[in-house]
This record gives sequence, structure tokens and C-alpha cells, in this order.
Amino acid sequence: MNAANFPQTLLDQLTALLAANPELGAWYTAIVRFVFPVLALLILIRTIRSLLTVPHVPEVWAYLTLPNGASEPLTHWENILGRAPASDVVLGYPTVSRQHAALIRAEDDSWTVYDLDSKGGVTVNGREVEGQASVAYGDVLALGGVETVLLAVSQEELEARRKARKAQRPVSPWLGLVLLTVFQVLTAVQLIVAEGQGASVAIPTTYLCLTAVMWAYFMFMRATGRVGFEMETIAFFLCTLSLAVTASKNPGGLFKQFAAILLGLTLFVVLGVFMRDLKRVKKIRWLMAAAAICLLGATLVLGTGLNGAKNWIVLGGMSFQPSEIAKICYIFAGAATLDRLFRKRNLGLFIVLTGACMGCLAIMSDFGTAAIFFAAFLVIAYLRSGDWATLGLITAAGVGAAAVVVTLKPYILRRFATWGHAWEYASSGGFQQTRTMSAAASGGLVGVGAGEGWLQRVSAAETDLVFGMLCEEWGLIIAALAVVSIVTLAVFAVRSCRAGRSSFYTIAACGAAGLMVVQTCLNVFGAVDILPLTGVTFPFVSVGGSAMMGSWGLLAFLKATDTRQNASFAIRLPSRKQGKRLAAPVRSEESGWEEGDEEA
Amino acid sequence: MKRIEKRAGVCLILAAALVLGLCFYALRYVLYGGKWVSLAANRHLYNSAGQLSVGRVLDRDGDVLSWADEDGNRCYYDGETVRKATLHAVGDASGKIGTGALVAFADKLSGYNPITGAYSLQGTGNDLYLTLDARYNYIAYNALNGRKGAVGVYNYKTGEILCMVSAPTFDPTYPPDIQEGDEQYDGVYLNRFLSGTFVPGSVFKTVTLAAAIENIPDLLDRTWTCTGSTQVGEGTVTCPSAHGEMDIYGALASSCNGVFAQLAVELGPDVMAAYAEKAGLTSSYQVSGISTAKGRFDLSSATVNDQGWAGVGQYSDAVNPCALMVYMGAVANGGKAAVPQLVLRTENSLGWNLSPYFKHSTGRLIETDTAETLADMMANNVTETYGATRFPNMDICAKSGTAEVGGGKAPNAWFTGFLRNEDAPYAFVVLVENGGSGADVAGSVAAQVLDALVNGY
Repeated sequence: MNAANFPQTLLDQLTALLAANPELGAWYTAIVRFVFPVLALLILIRTIRSLLTVPHVPEVWAYLTLPNGASEPLTHWENILGRAPASDVVLGYPTVSRQHAALIRAEDDSWTVYDLDSKGGVTVNGREVEGQASVAYGDVLALGGVETVLLAVSQEELEARRKARKAQRPVSPWLGLVLLTVFQVLTAVQLIVAEGQGASVAIPTTYLCLTAVMWAYFMFMRATGRVGFEMETIAFFLCTLSLAVTASKNPGGLFKQFAAILLGLTLFVVLGVFMRDLKRVKKIRWLMAAAAICLLGATLVLGTGLNGAKNWIVLGGMSFQPSEIAKICYIFAGAATLDRLFRKRNLGLFIVLTGACMGCLAIMSDFGTAAIFFAAFLVIAYLRSGDWATLGLITAAGVGAAAVVVTLKPYILRRFATWGHAWEYASSGGFQQTRTMSAAASGGLVGVGAGEGWLQRVSAAETDLVFGMLCEEWGLIIAALAVVSIVTLAVFAVRSCRAGRSSFYTIAACGAAGLMVVQTCLNVFGAVDILPLTGVTFPFVSVGGSAMMGSWGLLAFLKATDTRQNASFAIRLPSRKQGKRLAAPVRSEESGWEEGDEEA
Repeated sequence: MKRIEKRAGVCLILAAALVLGLCFYALRYVLYGGKWVSLAANRHLYNSAGQLSVGRVLDRDGDVLSWADEDGNRCYYDGETVRKATLHAVGDASGKIGTGALVAFADKLSGYNPITGAYSLQGTGNDLYLTLDARYNYIAYNALNGRKGAVGVYNYKTGEILCMVSAPTFDPTYPPDIQEGDEQYDGVYLNRFLSGTFVPGSVFKTVTLAAAIENIPDLLDRTWTCTGSTQVGEGTVTCPSAHGEMDIYGALASSCNGVFAQLAVELGPDVMAAYAEKAGLTSSYQVSGISTAKGRFDLSSATVNDQGWAGVGQYSDAVNPCALMVYMGAVANGGKAAVPQLVLRTENSLGWNLSPYFKHSTGRLIETDTAETLADMMANNVTETYGATRFPNMDICAKSGTAEVGGGKAPNAWFTGFLRNEDAPYAFVVLVENGGSGADVAGSVAAQVLDALVNGY
């Protein structure tokens, strides 16, 4: 028996066994439908708890001694110095402006100070600073006459801190991985049971491949010294469900969906590795903005309509939804570093980019995606400006624009006419929603078994209505867990801000998480008639190559903000060369905190 | 960075919205899941023709009225008359009769529950036992003899509906092709007993009388002389014949319109409306989850003469047969009755009873003393007018009604009341549309059904 034949042999043996004992399949389903939620809970609870309870101990990059003798740790790459309580280093002196200066560290451990139009001015070693100036360790930095000194962190302290941070290791991934493998094997068998005699060999093959890819990824990352795998565990769990949905709807599409997972994983790794270097990231932001507009513009020109919206490009038999990739570019372009935020305070260019993207989507009649872009815009713009008033105005303008579009194209309103009244229009406008709810309720808490549902016969069941398929075939517990997984990612993104290095990572992560949450809202609540059905995908679960790649791409932004020691491949491991800094002046006295940390 | 950290809270708001929405969905799922699964497109429970393909409907004795064969097709009792007589209780295969068990109790039949959903290992569903006895339906249907109408009998102490027939009907095994506007099948999908409302005519005098007993102190001492036509307000209220001189007992027994019209006007529209409402005739009951139709008693634009006619159950009055039957049960039972129910129990394949029977009581529909006086007067009706020999072994109290429907059609015949027998605590209502005389036509239908109930044949 050679390797290529292995899945076929396995399948033949299994179907022969099922044919010999017809009752076996029914009993298998009867039992595993209760096993699946338990496994899912075991896999996800540990992972979710680990992500939600990350202490996010800040890293310390340097110290700033104050005139009163105290020394403040600089816990980010980008720090605001000023009198305002929300500053990263608060200088309570009347000559210091509320936001006086930004002190920013570059990848090579060099620091730069930016004068943020302060009244009192900034000097380095007595020299007036025009705009910006580099600061070396030991230099005297004066803000409005208040003198501070930048000091490096001693090598011993660095080691001690690293050790303390290492002690708070993320949860070990291996138990979850083993359980997920069991989950995948049981799922594959269940799908074969559901398909019966004509079961496609694609089912065991793709599941074997998925398991292999998953283990290979985990082992490779572990071998390169990374220890945080919660996000990947969640993503692979959701991908397992996605493959099951594909198998239930159309087993012939399994290889394509698996290829999409593989491509998505590749994009995830490439994007993550790329984002290690902030300088590289800053350079490419313009390119990304252009890419977002190009992708959407190309769709406008080349796009063809599938299910109403003209948002597909068909190239050589492959259909592709560029808006899914445009999301990644858009967030990339929208996030910004702190120095940039303060030098260019207005959101002008970002609003122009948003307007261009939304305009393209509106012409395509893809209002679901437009809503998602707008939500991402609001999150990013608020994080950048913190200005409710401006955002309120922009939202009002957006609503106005929507009203204009609706007056120009009144047929759009018809899609929303049945919203909230799906049961009164069960055979017309509420057709999909009523089927979704009926099938979802039929599944109960534990589902009728993967591949045993009927909702898959309804059009768009595997994409827009996928929440219904999850509820029907997997049960409300697993469907709710899938939603909670997305919520977890958002909560993690917010919490990780505390130890965020650069505002670019923080804003990008929050933008990506907000986008995924809004997308999940529209998908889930649209399918069950709580919101209008707009036809967007459920991240990682909905079937479709572009959607799957888009989800993995967005996850890379979250991975890049995970600053736990050695947790994420999207962050460089601490280099050995940093020992050279020993020559630099360092803070002399020892504060007591790291001893306590070490004991813990 | 600290600033941005604070602003990032906006993501938490979005996440909270998602969680809240999910909770809202879960709540709706728990509340309405049973309704959702009962969609005819749900292939777990319905075959490709939209017929419920799981579950059996049985009567209280265990006679199987409807089941699904191995291919998931609906089958019905072997006997055409029983099939027709139980059609509105059981429901048709295509689900047009919304109050039939196959639609209204689809979630019970399928064995649906929010934990395991619609899944069952054998895929057979549950056995639903109705409170009905198919034999009484059979007798009632035969007694209606092809006329349109409704028959209902229930135990006013427990609430179990023993007999419920609505006509016209059809054979669900061979459903006819019914054209819009076909007289023969006028309103055939409507269960007249639960969902219909009709002009009550003289049976409404039981409500006017209850109001009069409580609000006119010298009622029992009064006498009236009926000449066949009485001036009420700006017009007259007529009786079919001159009833001569009588007291209130005689007025009810001869069903004198003149007397009750005068009483209604004397009581005034507000008091009358209050008593119609208190009697439960203008509100809806939940019969095992099925809402009954609301009756109407609206004097908001009535003249004095209209008020008189409304007091004898004409004008714009309308009552639902089931609600009237419950009122009769309350008169019998000292002012409160059990709410009627249709589902006796539901058994799954392991024989577990999944919907145990719990009695529900109505509010106070009539004061206890008033109910006793009214019952005596209604008993007097039977001995004086209807003939006690027609109802052997029964301590029966009843009121007939002959409700003019206009349009040149024969009046609706009503006969409603209750038994005071300790071992047969039944309230009943019979309506024969365009049947003619209430006491004769509807009374004889009631007599046949009650005879079978009390005397066993």
C-alpha cells in the first residue's frame, strides 16, 4: 500500500464496514454528535482563556530619569511625553505642554525625539530641536526646561525581565492540537457515514492533509522558538468546520477549499514575517493603499455578478473576490505610527482612501462589504484621532450618501423590505432566513451530525447562511463557540495594546479585529433575520477561497501585536547582539520589582 | 500609546454587540424554536410534499387517527366518517388547517426539544394523545347531518375537550379540489369551534341575565306582558309571538326579546359591555397553545334600540363557540371553569410522557350566587320549554338561540348549556348554521352527543 492510495484504502474499508452493519452509521452519529461539542469546548476553552487572561506585562525599552530623581520606564517603542495624564510619561511641570514630545525607538535601538509643537521647546544636550533629533543613551533631553536623561536597560535587568516574561508562558498547544486531531478524524468519519456508499475519497484525503499541515506548522514554529499558538488553534478549528461545511455542500470543492486554507496560511506567515520590521511596514503603506483601490477598481471593470452584487473576477476558470484581499490592504494602509499621527494630525488621506473604496463597493452593489469597510474605518479613525465629533460628522455623511444611493437605486430597498418579517415572506424575501432558522432549530444544541443537514440545498448556505449550517449540523454550542472565538480575537487585540510596541500594530490589530467582529455580526444576524441579509462571509468558516485567505491575512495583524515573550513569529526573537549595549550608560540603582516578579 | 489603548475600547463595544446579539438569538431560539422547526420545508420533519413525516395522533382511547408510513406519507384512520369528523382536530396533510394537531402541535409530534433538536435515532417522532374521543366526534358529525356548524363538549372541571367537530369538512385521505367560492366548502379550513365567531342570538341572554340579576334588585319580583312587539328607544323589538304575562323565569324560558331588550337598556351599555367582557366572550383563550377567536360586543355607536337588540344577542354581537362553552362551564362550576385543552399527553418512543396534563383555571367569569340562580333558570328552560325527556339521566341546564343572520338566510341554531351531574360535569355548545330553530335543530344534535356521553350509546 503506497501513500497515495492510503486514503482510498481507508475509505473502502470504512464503507465496507458500514455496508455490512447498516445500524453502525446511525449509532456512530448518535454518539459523536455529543462528543463533538465536548471536544470543541476542551479545545477552545483552554485557548480562549489563555488569550483572554494574558497579563500583557509591558516590555521595558529604556528609562527616562526625571528631575525629582525618579526614573520612568519606557514601555513602548512610541511614547508621548507631556503634562496630560494620558501621556506615557507624565511630566507634571507647568512649563511642559500637555503633549510635549514623542520619543520613538527604531528597530536598531536608536531613539528619536519629535517636538509636538510644544510651547517650551525641546533640547538635546542643550541644542534646540527643530522638528526631530536623535537621542543617544546618556543624552540630556530637556522639555520646556525640565531635564531628563535617557538611560539604557542593563543587560542583567533585560535578562531578568525576559526570564520573568518567559515564566508567563502561553498555554501549551499540544493537548489542544491532539484533541483537534481527534476532532478532525471523527469529523472525516462522520462525513463519510453521512455520504454513505458514494462517499468521495476527497473527504479522508483533505482531512489528512489538513491535519498534516497543522502539525507541520506547529512543529516548525515550535522549532524556531515560538510558543504562542492560541490564534492558530482557533483558526485551524474554524477551518476544520469550514471543510465539513464544504463536504456537506459539495464534496467536489474540498480540494479547492483546502488549497485556500494552505494559501491563507502562507499569506498569514508572509505577512507576519514582513511586519516584524516597522521600517519596512512604513514604506509599503502607500503601496497597500494603492493596492486596495486597484483591487476594487479592477473588480469594477472586470467584475461579474454572482447573486446580485458584481464583486467577482473570473480569470481562467478561477473565480476570485478581490474585496476580501482589499480588506487587508485597507487596514495596512489605515494603521499608522505615532510620529506620523502627530505630524499629520488630520485623517484627510485616509478619508479619501475610504471614500474611494466605499464608492467602488457601492457601484458594485456590495453593501455588506461596504458596511464592513465603514466599520473598520470608524475603528481605525477613532483610534487615530479619538475625535467623536469628526467621526459623527463622517457617519452622518455616510448615512447621507447611503440615502442618495437608495434614492438612485430604489430596488436596493426591496432587499431590506422583509427584514424582521421573514416569516411573513417565507416563500419570497424571507426564503433563506426562514430556512436558516428552521434548520438551525432542528439541530438543537448538538446538531444532527455533519453532512446530515438539508440547509446545504438552499443557495448560499455555505457562505451567507453558514451559521445556519453550523447550527443544524454541529449544534448551537459549536456555532456559538465559533462566534465566541471571533469575540476572543477582538478582546485579545484590545488587551494587547497595553504592551503594544508601535501604534501601527495596535491600530491594525484593532481594525482587523473590529472588521472581523462586524463581519461576523452581519453574517450571523443577517442569516437569522436579526439584521438585514447582506451576504457577507463568516471569517474562516464560510466556504470560498478569497474569504479564507482574507481571514488568515487579517489574523496576521493580530499575531503581530502579540508581544508575549517568544509567543509570536511576527515579532523578532531578542537578538544576542544586544549585549553590545553594555557599554552604554545604564541606570545605576536597582528597583525591587523584578525580584518579586521572579519569585512569581 | 496610553491614549490609543483607551480608544481601543471601541473594539470591545463591537465585541459586546456581537455577544449580546448572540444571546438575543439564543433567547429567540428557546422561545420560538418549536415554531421554526414546524416549517414545511424542514426535511428533518416533513416529506417533499410538505407533509409531516413523523409522529402519530391518537384519541384519548388510543385509536390512531393519523400516522406516517415508512415512506413518510401521512395516513389517516380507516373509516371515512371518523376521518371527516376528526379532520379539524387532526389537520390535513398539507397543513391548510392551521389549528389541526399536525400543524399546531407539530413540535410535540416531532419530538422537537431545544436540547437535541429535531433529531431522533429511529426518526419516528412521538405519539400525541388528544383529549377527544373519536366516537363522540363521529356521533356529533352524523347528528349535524351535512349541515355547517360546530359541536363542542368539554369537562368543565378538568378542561379536557371530549368532542370537537367543525363542518363543512372533507376526507383528508382524498382531499377534494376546492375552488374559491365553493358554497359546499365555505370556510372548510376554519375550525368553527375554535376560530369562528357567529351572531349569538338568544344564547347571549344568559349574559344579559347575569348582569340583571346583580344590578336590578327587584328582578325576581317583576312581571312583564309581551304583545309580540315592544317599543325600545326609537324603534321596536319584536318577538316571534306574543308571550303574554310572565316573570323572569318565564321570560328566559320563552326567550322573550322584549323583556331582555328592556333589561339591557335599563342596565346601560357600559354595564352590558363589562359583563360581556367578564364572561370571557370578547377575549381569547389559549387551548393548548391555540388562540381562540375573540367575540365582539361593541355598543360605541349604538342607538338605544340597538342596545336593546344587542342585549338579545343581535345587533353587531358575535361570539366564539368555544368561549361560550367555557362561560357555560363557569356557570356550572360556581363562577370559574377549567380552560379547555386538546392535548392529553405526548409519549416518545420510550413511552415517556413529555407533556403532562396540567389543569388551568379561568378567572372569575360570573359571581357564584348569580351562577346558581342562572343555572336554576336554565334548568327551568329544559323542563318548561325544551323537554326533559329528550335528555335522559341528565340534570341539564340549557339555553337555545335562534340568531337572525339576515340576507334572507335561515337563522343560526344554537344550543348551549351544561350538566350538573356529579359524574358527568360537561359543558356543551352546538351551532348549526342556517339551521332554523335552536331548540329543535341544535337541541337534537346536543341530545344525541350527550346521550352517548352520559348513557354510553
